[in-house]
Amino acid sequence: MNDHAPSPTSRRVVMGFGDAANLPEDDELPTESMPLNMGPSHPAMHGTVRMVLEVEGEKVRTVDVQIGFLHRCFEKEAENATWTQIFPYTDRLNYVSPMLCNVGYALAVEKLLDIDDKIPERAQFIRVIVGEISRITDHLTCLAASAMELAAFTVFFYLMKAREWLWELLEEVSGARLTHSYVRIGGVVADLTDDFCPKLRDILGRCRAAIADVDKMLTSNRIFRDRMDGIGIITRDDAIGWGLTGPVGRSAGLAYDVRKDHPYLVYDRFDFDVPVGSVGDNFDRYAVRLEEMRQSMRILEQAMDRLPAGPILLDDARVALPPKREVYNTIESMIAHFKLIMDGIVVPPGEIYSFTEGGNGELGFYIVSDGTGRPWKCRVRPPCFANTAVLNKILPGLFIADIVPTFGMINMIGGECDR
Amino acid sequence: MAGEKQAASGPRAKVKIVIDGRPHEFPAGLTILEACQRVGIKVPFFCWHPGLSAPAVCRQCLVEIRGFPKPIPSCYTPVADKMEVITNSPKVLDVRRQMLEFTLLNHPIDCPICDKAGECLLQKHYFDWDVRLARNDGSKVRKAKVVDLGRHIVLDQERCILCTRCIRVCNEVARQPDLVMAFRGDRQLLTTAPGQRLDNPYSLNTVDVCPVGALTAKDFRFSMRAWELWATPSVCPGCATGCNIEIHAAHDVIRRLIPRPNPAVNKYWMCDEGRLTYKRVHQDRLVAPLVAGAPARWAAALAEVARLMAWARDKSPSSLGVVLSAQTSNEDLFAFSRLASEHLRTDRVYLAGAREGWCDEILVSADKNPNTTGAKLIGGPTVRTAADLKQDLKIGVLKALLVLGEADAVSPLDSLQTLVVLASHQGPLVTAASVALPLAMWAETDGTFTNRQGKVQRLHAAIAPAGQSRPGWEIAARLARAMGAAWTYANAKQVFSEARDKVMLMSGADWGRPESPVQLRFANSRG
Amino acid sequence: MAKIVLDRLAEQFVAGEITETGSQHGNEWARVNPAHWRGVAQFLRDDPVTALNMFIDLTCVDRLGRTPRFDVVLHLYSVDKKHRVRLLAGLPEDDPSVDSVVGLWPGANWFEREAFDLYGVRFLDHPDLRRILMYPEFVGHPLRKDFPKEGRQPLLRRFPGSVDEEPAP
Repeated sequence: MNDHAPSPTSRRVVMGFGDAANLPEDDELPTESMPLNMGPSHPAMHGTVRMVLEVEGEKVRTVDVQIGFLHRCFEKEAENATWTQIFPYTDRLNYVSPMLCNVGYALAVEKLLDIDDKIPERAQFIRVIVGEISRITDHLTCLAASAMELAAFTVFFYLMKAREWLWELLEEVSGARLTHSYVRIGGVVADLTDDFCPKLRDILGRCRAAIADVDKMLTSNRIFRDRMDGIGIITRDDAIGWGLTGPVGRSAGLAYDVRKDHPYLVYDRFDFDVPVGSVGDNFDRYAVRLEEMRQSMRILEQAMDRLPAGPILLDDARVALPPKREVYNTIESMIAHFKLIMDGIVVPPGEIYSFTEGGNGELGFYIVSDGTGRPWKCRVRPPCFANTAVLNKILPGLFIADIVPTFGMINMIGGECDR
Repeated sequence: MAGEKQAASGPRAKVKIVIDGRPHEFPAGLTILEACQRVGIKVPFFCWHPGLSAPAVCRQCLVEIRGFPKPIPSCYTPVADKMEVITNSPKVLDVRRQMLEFTLLNHPIDCPICDKAGECLLQKHYFDWDVRLARNDGSKVRKAKVVDLGRHIVLDQERCILCTRCIRVCNEVARQPDLVMAFRGDRQLLTTAPGQRLDNPYSLNTVDVCPVGALTAKDFRFSMRAWELWATPSVCPGCATGCNIEIHAAHDVIRRLIPRPNPAVNKYWMCDEGRLTYKRVHQDRLVAPLVAGAPARWAAALAEVARLMAWARDKSPSSLGVVLSAQTSNEDLFAFSRLASEHLRTDRVYLAGAREGWCDEILVSADKNPNTTGAKLIGGPTVRTAADLKQDLKIGVLKALLVLGEADAVSPLDSLQTLVVLASHQGPLVTAASVALPLAMWAETDGTFTNRQGKVQRLHAAIAPAGQSRPGWEIAARLARAMGAAWTYANAKQVFSEARDKVMLMSGADWGRPESPVQLRFANSRG
Repeated sequence: MAKIVLDRLAEQFVAGEITETGSQHGNEWARVNPAHWRGVAQFLRDDPVTALNMFIDLTCVDRLGRTPRFDVVLHLYSVDKKHRVRLLAGLPEDDPSVDSVVGLWPGANWFEREAFDLYGVRFLDHPDLRRILMYPEFVGHPLRKDFPKEGRQPLLRRFPGSVDEEPAP
C-alpha cells in the first residue's frame, strides 16, 4: 500500500481492461468490506444457521454465526413432562443419530436412580448396537451432505442409499426411521426383530462397499483435496479451549473418545480403534468420520456375535411398565402402570452430569431432580453447540467458497445445537 | 383426636422415644403415627385421619415396638417413655405389603374409569410400599357399582376398602349418623343407615376423606381427571366463616373446591353449599363494559363514568351514593371507600350484601357474605345499612348511585338519574345501569377477606378474569385517574399494604407469599 | 473419582471461597463464592495436579424458592488426568451476575450467552453478551421457573406510537 491510499469516499470509475491496465502504478482501486448474509434459508446452511459475514472481495473478514432457528424449547418442555415422556424429545435433538441421544438420557436418569448396574445385559448390548448404527447414519449424513455441496452428487446418492438401508432396519425394530423413542429407563422398549442380525450383517456388507466406493471417489480426488486440505484448521489447543469433542476434536489431534476413556454400557468388551487426525483441517475431519464408520461396523459385528439372550427391560415396577397381560388382569399392575404413566418414575432428589459419545462428541445430560416424577432441570450439553462456536474463529480468513465444506464438516445438527 | 385431648389437660409432659434407632422427644399423648409424621418418617395408613377418631381398622400403619410380640397399630397407640419403635425392618415392610395385598385382593380394576385415580391413597401406598405382582388368580367379590346414596354422593361398593372414614365424618363432623357398615368379612358393605339418605350438609367431605374412589361426588364425577387440575389456595365466599379452600381448575375453568386444613377456622372440613359456590363463577358473567346497554371499550366507559360522577358530585354531593358490598375483597372495598371520600366527596356510603340464611353450630354461619367484617371495618362507623339504602331510594333522596358488587337492596330504581354498577354477573341492576363495568370475582383476583372471627385470609387468583373484567381496586384506580387523580396502585398487594396501615384491625395481617397454581399431577399425589 | 480435585481446592482456598463440596453418583462438585468464581476456575485450569484444562459445559439452574435463587454451573474436564468437576455459584434474584470465564476458555462464549438469554444471568466482561437462541425482540428469560410455558410474545420491534391494546392502569 502506498502512503496516500485514496479514502473509501473518493472513487474513480474505470471502464474496461484497457483503462484498468493504464492505471498509474501508485493508484489503487478503493476497497471496502461488504456485509453479506448467508442463511438462514440457504441450501448450504443445513440445520438452519445464519452467518452474517463481512467480506472483502471473496475473503471473509469477520463472521457472526447466529443460531437458534430450530430452538424448540427442549428444556422447558422437559421440565413439564415425566421422565419417560422426555424420550421423544431426545429423539429430536440429534435427529440423524437419535438412538445415541435416547441412550445418553436413559443412562443419566438410571444413574440418578442407582439402577445403572442393574440394566439387563441384553438391553445393554442392544443399546450399543442401535447406538452404533445411529453413529454410522450420522456420519453418512454428514459426508453425503457435504460432498453434495461440493458437487459430488454421486457420493450423496451412494451414502443416502446406505443410510436408508440402516434406517429401514431401525424402523423394523422401533417403528420409525428417525424418531425411534426406542430406549426406556431400565432397558429398551421391545426386543430386536428375529431376523435383525442377519439383516444387519447383510447391510453392513453393502455399507462397506458403498463407503469403499466413496473413499475411492473422494479421498484422492484432486478437486476434493484442493477444497478440503488445509482449510479450516483447528489446533489441539483450540479443541481444548473451545470444548471440541467427537470427530471435530479428534481430527485436531485431541485423542478423547468417551467410549474408550470412560467406557459405559458394554463398550469395554469390544475391540475397536479411535481414529485421530493430525492437521485438524476439513480433510482430517472427513477422514476421521470415514474411518469411524468402519470402526463402528467392527463394534456392531462383535456385538452381534456376543449378543446374550435374556430380558430387555428391568423387572422393577417402580421404573418399568409391567407386562400388559398383568396390567389388564390384576389391580396391582394396573396401579403400577397408572402411577408410572401419570406421576412418572419417582427419581430421588439429586443432580448428575452423565456423558456419552454422541455422533458429534461428548453428549452430556445434566439432570436435576426434585424427587417428583419430572425433572427440575434437564439440560443437554450439545456437542455441536461448542463445535459450531469455533466457526467464529476459523472462518475469518477463508474464502466464501470455503465456508461450505468447513461448515459441512463441523456437522452442525440444528436440533442438537439449538434444542 | 384422642391423643391431643389428653395432652391439653395435665402438665405438658415430654416423652423420650427411639424411632428407627434415633432418639426423639415428643409431648405425652401423641400417637406413634403422629410422632413419625412430625419427624418426617413415612408410615402408610388408610383409616386414620387427623380430624377424626382413630379406630385402627385398616392395620396399614402397623409398626414394630421392641418387646411386643405382634406389630402394633401406630395410629392408635400413644407414645410412652423409653419406647423403641421400628418402622423400616424387613418384618414391618413385609407386614405392610401383606396388608396391601389383602386390601387389593378384591379391589376392582377400575383405575382407568375411577375418579380418584391420580389422587388415590391405595395407588400411592401400593406404589410406594408394595410393587409386587398379584399372587391370586381367583375371581373377586362382586358388589353394587353405582349406588345413589343421597343428594350429592354416588357409592361404588366394590372399591370401598372398609376404612370407615366416611362413617366417622357423618358421626363426628356432621353429627348425623347417615352411614353404616353392613355384613362382615369380605362381604362387608358400606350403606346408608336404615331409613336414612346421605343428605347432611357436610356429605361431600366424605368424598374428600375416602382414600379410594368408592364415594364420588355427583357434581364432579367424570368431569375432569385429577392430574389435570391446578390447585390454588383461597377462601370460600359462601358465608362469613371463611373456610380455607383449594380451588381446582383446569383449562381456566374451576372444577371443584376442596377444604384446606386450618385448625383455627374450619379444621379439615367445609359445607356442601360452600363447595358449590364455584359454579357461579362461570355462569352469566358480565364480560364487557356496557354504556347505556351497548358494549364499549374500557377507556370510553371509564370516561363516561367519570363524567357522570363528576357531574353528580358537582351538582349536589348529598344526592350521590356509593354502595359497597360485603361480597368483595378488602382491597376492592378500601379502594372504593377511598374513592368515595376523596373524589366523590360523599358521606352517603352504604353497605349491602346477600341476605341472611340458615346456620348451624358446626361451620355454617347465617351471614352469607364472606367479608362483612372487613367491609364494616373499612367503611368505618359512618357507613349506612342496606335498610337505609332502601329507604333513601324510596324517598328519592339519591339521584346518582355507584354500586360495587351485587346488591339486592338496590331498589326501587325509579328516582335514580344515574346508576353505575360494577358487577360480575348479568342481572336487573346491570340492565338498568347507565354504565356497567365488569368486575372480576373472588377466584380471579388476589385479595383478602376478613371472616367472622376477624381473621384476614388471603385469596389467590386461580383463573384469569372472565372476558374483560378487572379487579375492583383496579377499576377504582382507573376511575380515580379518569377523574384527574394520581393513584398508582400496580397490584393488590400495594392496596393491602396501604389498607393495613390505615385500618386498625388489619394491622396484624400478612399478605403472605405468592402462590401460583400447582399442578396436582406433580404434587406427589396427596391422598 | 475426582476426590483429588476437591482436596486440592481445600488446600488452596482457605478463606471461604469454597463454601461446600460433595460427591454424588460419581460426580464431584464444589460450591464457590461467586466473587471468587473466576479465580477458582483459573486455579483449577492452571494447577498441575488438577489440570482441568477442557471446558465442557456452562449453564444455570433456577432454584425458585431458595435464596440465592440462581446457580451458575460450570463443568470442567482434564484431558490428561481424565477427571471432572462441577463448580456451582449461587446468584441472587435481583441482578444475578458473575465474572465471565471467556478469558480462560474461549468456548465459554456461547454457553454464557445462552445462560444470559434463557436465565438473565449477566456475565461481567463478556465480549458480546447478547441473546443467542431467542430473537432480539424477545421479552423475558424463558427458562426461569416463573416464566409461563404458554404465552404470547411481541414478534416485531415495537415502534413508538403503535398501540394495539389498552394500556394497563
